[in-house]
Formats: sequence, structure tokens, C-alpha cells
Amino acid sequence: MSVISVKDVEKKFKVYYDKGQTFKERLLFRNRNHYEERPVLKGISFQVEKGQAIGIIGENGSGKSTLLKLMTRIMYPDKGSIEIKGRVSSLIELGAGFHPDMSGRENIYTNASIFGLTKKEIDLRLNDIIAFSELEEFIDNPVRTYSSGMYMRLAFSVAINVDSDILLIDEILAVGDVSFQAKCFNKLREIKANGTTIVIVSHSLGQIEQICDRSIWIKDGLIKAEGTPRTVHPEYLDFMGQKRQEILDRQETKKVEEKEEEDEAKKNYEGTDAKNSEEEKKENKAEKKRWGNGKARIIKVTTYNAENIQQNVFRTGETIKVKVDYKVIQVVNDAVFGIGIFRSDGLQCYGTNTFIDKLDKFNLTQDGYVIIQLDSVMLLPGEYVLDIAIECDIGIPVDYYREAHKIEFYSAVEDVGVMRINHKWYINNH
Amino acid sequence: MEVIKEIYDYRQMVYSLVRRDLRGRYKASVLGFLWTFINPLLQLVIYTIVFSVILKTGIDKYYLFLFVALVPWIFFQASISGGSSSIIAQQDLVKKIYFPREVIPISYVTSCFVNMLFSFIIIFIVVAVSGVKINFLGVLCLPLIMFIEYIMAVGFALIASAVTVYFRDLEHILGIVTMAWMYLTPIMYSIEMIPEDLRKVLMLNPMVPIINAYRDVLYYGRTPHLYTLLNGFMLGVISLVAGFVVFGKLKRHFAEEL
Repeated sequence: MSVISVKDVEKKFKVYYDKGQTFKERLLFRNRNHYEERPVLKGISFQVEKGQAIGIIGENGSGKSTLLKLMTRIMYPDKGSIEIKGRVSSLIELGAGFHPDMSGRENIYTNASIFGLTKKEIDLRLNDIIAFSELEEFIDNPVRTYSSGMYMRLAFSVAINVDSDILLIDEILAVGDVSFQAKCFNKLREIKANGTTIVIVSHSLGQIEQICDRSIWIKDGLIKAEGTPRTVHPEYLDFMGQKRQEILDRQETKKVEEKEEEDEAKKNYEGTDAKNSEEEKKENKAEKKRWGNGKARIIKVTTYNAENIQQNVFRTGETIKVKVDYKVIQVVNDAVFGIGIFRSDGLQCYGTNTFIDKLDKFNLTQDGYVIIQLDSVMLLPGEYVLDIAIECDIGIPVDYYREAHKIEFYSAVEDVGVMRINHKWYINNH
Repeated sequence: MEVIKEIYDYRQMVYSLVRRDLRGRYKASVLGFLWTFINPLLQLVIYTIVFSVILKTGIDKYYLFLFVALVPWIFFQASISGGSSSIIAQQDLVKKIYFPREVIPISYVTSCFVNMLFSFIIIFIVVAVSGVKINFLGVLCLPLIMFIEYIMAVGFALIASAVTVYFRDLEHILGIVTMAWMYLTPIMYSIEMIPEDLRKVLMLNPMVPIINAYRDVLYYGRTPHLYTLLNGFMLGVISLVAGFVVFGKLKRHFAEEL
């Protein structure tokens, strides 16, 4: 039995350029009341069965929160229909109606009443709510004396004890400390086990994976993918990775352009001492990042995925190919290429070179490139920089290029540390 | 009808909001709750000085004549002008949580109403001091008169609050409208002072029968006319129904407009 059925729902928002809200403005600038209709949802249909938990994911502005608001009946769709069977409660706004001067107990009554509970119903739940919040000692103190963590704990305890048929949650599971969060999760699982239907909108894919049976990915107001979190989330992450890549690329071109402009400007102003000294400073800084005898020079460092598509953002576990283009000024004998991977906080994660890896020695006589293929790199999400070096003979730097290239990692798994270690669990359960 | 049932389900919310409002109102002031009494008393003193010392009206016990009409009027006026911004004032709730939106103006009017009930303690003291003979049956009519005024205030507050969301000027316009309304209602003068032909026009003012009824009971010490009560009741029901209809039409887009 489906308890939520969303059918062809469309929603537009009017975005006013210059909204006249007063009488004078409306009268005088009638023609100036321009607005643009921005479609947020462009026809969304899905159904949720009783007792199911679904997660709604999507970028910022994709329309997922609007969808949730439509389900809560805070807003109504322009087209299509939303049918919901049973009592709905929402964890969209925690602590609604809290008054700082009233005690925790009184605020429980206020807050719960906003969810539509009667006095009797609140009386029945009062002990559960207080127990869940772990605020027994403070419950008769005014709420203004609470820490923000205590405040949220009280608010969450009320919301989660409403006992509705359908629970709508918007991005709020970041409540309190780790142990309270775990408690909230357990409570949610318990609620789900009791047959409550749950809809969660979240950026935290991990949270959705823990609770939901199904994920819906909303992109630009439409359902882009739907299915188990295991199938939808990697797809979503790949998309987000690509998107991040595009942004980085754009920034990169912008930087290059800016730099060109700067160079242009510098040329124009050459001669003034102040500028010169500044320039020197800049050069010094650049030099610190790069040193060597200059017989050869690294021109470009680029990274590719296994399919040879250029990218700087990778999923943990992906194969990375690093291509280093170089220019030869003088012949370099017995050359060695090296690579170092550093986390953004400076921790060296890995480093090696052709000498360590016992490759045959070779000489650099003309311009060319080397490729280092890093198989299934297990670095955990974050920013990393690559140091690339050319050395010769017995460790004399030819061109050591610090922070030659930046890459990022993302992942759907929430394991912690520096890198993932492949593992299996064997649980001996007697 | 469904709306009414839903509002009934949310009665605890009305109660909570009223309690919060009453608690919060005088929280930081030194005299606190006493202001509920001081305010109408001071107004009474001012009006009495103006109308029975400076501008002599010649009405017997003018302070009482004025007071029994002024307190109900203050309630009505506060319900409309304060009620008009009640939805905007609670926009955080409206934008984030579902509940029947009618609850907000209803709570606001109810909290004004509770304030009026407290002021009635002063009225009864003043009546007792003045030596007016009170008709027992008339006093029994008081709850009914109050109820009629309450539903009328709810009706007007529903309309004012919903329209103000879309048209913020209304809040300011209402300040002037209610002032004019006060002078068009026999509060500072008696209905007999108005020329006969104009009186019929004035009877269209829904507050006229209500103020007259209060005055019948508390100043003249008599039972109000059945006609006056029926008239007031009809107008009260009309404004309440109109309030729910207008509010019901406008409430769907509150969250987007705020």
C-alpha cells in the first residue's frame, strides 16, 4: 500500500526583479513588476510504500527541499497532485516556537502542540521525551540557560517522539555529540521498524545508506535516477565529481587569464622600483617551490583516469595516470623521475621514483613526457598535491617542482584515516 | 468544516501560543502583569479629564459610560491591527512547519481576549464603586456579548492577517482605519447624539450593537434588546465566515510570499 503518491508534480517560483510590496510601488510601477518564473520541479512522480524509507539526494538548488515542503503541505504544487495517507510530522525545523524564558518542560508542550498533539497526547509522551533528551536535571530550567547542543537535543526529542505515520526529515541529523547522534539513528531505525514511513532529504549519503531502502536523485527538477542507494549513489558521486572537475577547470582558465593580464600589466608598468621589488618577491616565492640545475624543465603535469579522460577529481579506489611533460635544455644523463603525494595538511602519503623502483637508467636528450600509472589509489576524500621531480646522477635535482599539481578525492564510504585498507569482517556469532 | 475540525485538533497549539504570548508580553518590565490593569486605567483617567472636565459632555458618570465601551473596543482594535501582522511575525513557523494557518490569528485574538477579561476585573470594580444597579439577567448576557465580539474579531483578524502577507501596507492603513472606526462607533458619545437618519447608516457598523450591548448591561444596568444581540450575532457570524473563506483562499501561498 502506498502512503505517499506524488504525481506529475510541478512547481514554479516567481522571482521578482524588483518587487513592489507596498501600495505605492504596486500602483506606480505596475509595469515594473517584472518577475521571472523559475521552474523548480518539472514533473516528478513517485510512490512510497508504507514502512519504506527513502532518501532524496541532489545538488543545492535541485529542488529536493521544495519537494519535501510540498509533501509537508507548507507549499502546494502548481500542477499534479500529492496524496498522503496518515499523520505527517516533519523534522524540518527543530525547536519551533521555543521561548527562551520558559522552562524545558513548558517548551516541550509548546513545541509538541505545534506538531498537532493534544495535551493528553503530550502528557503521555512527556517522560519519553525527557528521557530521550537526557536533560532530566535541567528540564525545569529556562531554555535560555541551555547550551546549543542541549537545545537541539530537546528539540529533536520532541520531534522524534511525535509518533506519526510519516516522518519527513530535512538535513538535521547533525544533532548533538556523536553518542546522541547514534541514539537518534537507532531511534529512527526503531521508528521505521514500527512501520513509520520515512523520507529524508540529505547531503550525507552515508546517513541515507544507513536508513533508506531507496534513493531518489533529483537533478534540475526531474528524477535523474531511482533505486537502491548502492546503485544510485555511485552514479551521483561520479556526476558530482565531474561537476567539481568542471568548476576547477573554469577556475584554472580564469587564473591563467588573470595571470596573463597581470603579466601584461607588469610589462606596461616596468621601470618603477616598487613594482620591481614586488616582482622579485614573487619570483623568490616561486623559486622556493621549484629548484634544480635547470638542464631540463617540467612544463606541464596532468592527470587522467583509467579511460584517459583528463580529470583532477577522483573517487577513492580509482586508477590515476599522471602525465609529466618536460623540455630538455641540456642533455641530462642518468635521469630519475620522482613523484610525491601529499595531503593538503602536508602529510606525505606516498613517494617513489624510478630509481627506487629499479628502472633502468636513461638519458634525456629531447622533449617528451613520462606517465606514472597509479593503480587503484585508496586515498580518502580530501585535497592532495603532487610533487614532481627530475633528478640526475646521484640525486642532483634538475627540476624539483613542489605542488606541481592538485587533485581531489571523494568517496561514498565514510571510513576514516589516510587511506583505505582493503578489508573483510569475519564475525563469529555463537 | 474540515478546517474547523483541524483547528480543533490543534487547540493545544492555540493554548500554547496564547500562554507564550501572555508570558512574554510583560516579561522584562518592572510592573509586569500589572500593566494589563494600569493601561486601561490610565486611558480612563485621560479620557475622563478630557470629556468631563474640559469638553463637558453632560453625560452622567461619564467615566463609566466611556470605560465599559472603551475596554471592549481596545480588544477589538488590538485584534485587527496587531492581528494583521501576526502571520508575518510567525513566518519562521509558517515557512517550516505545517499546521492550520488559522491558528496564528486565532491565537493572537485569543490572547487579546484574555487580556480583556483581566481588564474586566477593573470594570467590575469601577461599576461597583459607581453604584450602578446591575441587572442580574443582563450580567448573564455578558459572556454571550463577549463571544459575539470574539468571533467578530477573529473574522476581521483572519482577513487582515492574510491580506497583509501579500500587501504589507495594510498594516499601516489599518492604523488609520481603526482610528476612524473608533470615532464612528458610539464609544465616546452615545448613539442618541447622532441625527436620526444617520443612525441607520451607523448601524451597518458591526461594532455598534456590541458596544451598545455592553453599555446596556454595565452602564444602564438593563438587559440588552434581543434585537441588538441578534443583530450583533448575525454580523459576527458573517465576518467569521468571510474571514475563513478569504483566509482559506489566501493561505496556500503564504510560504512563498513570506
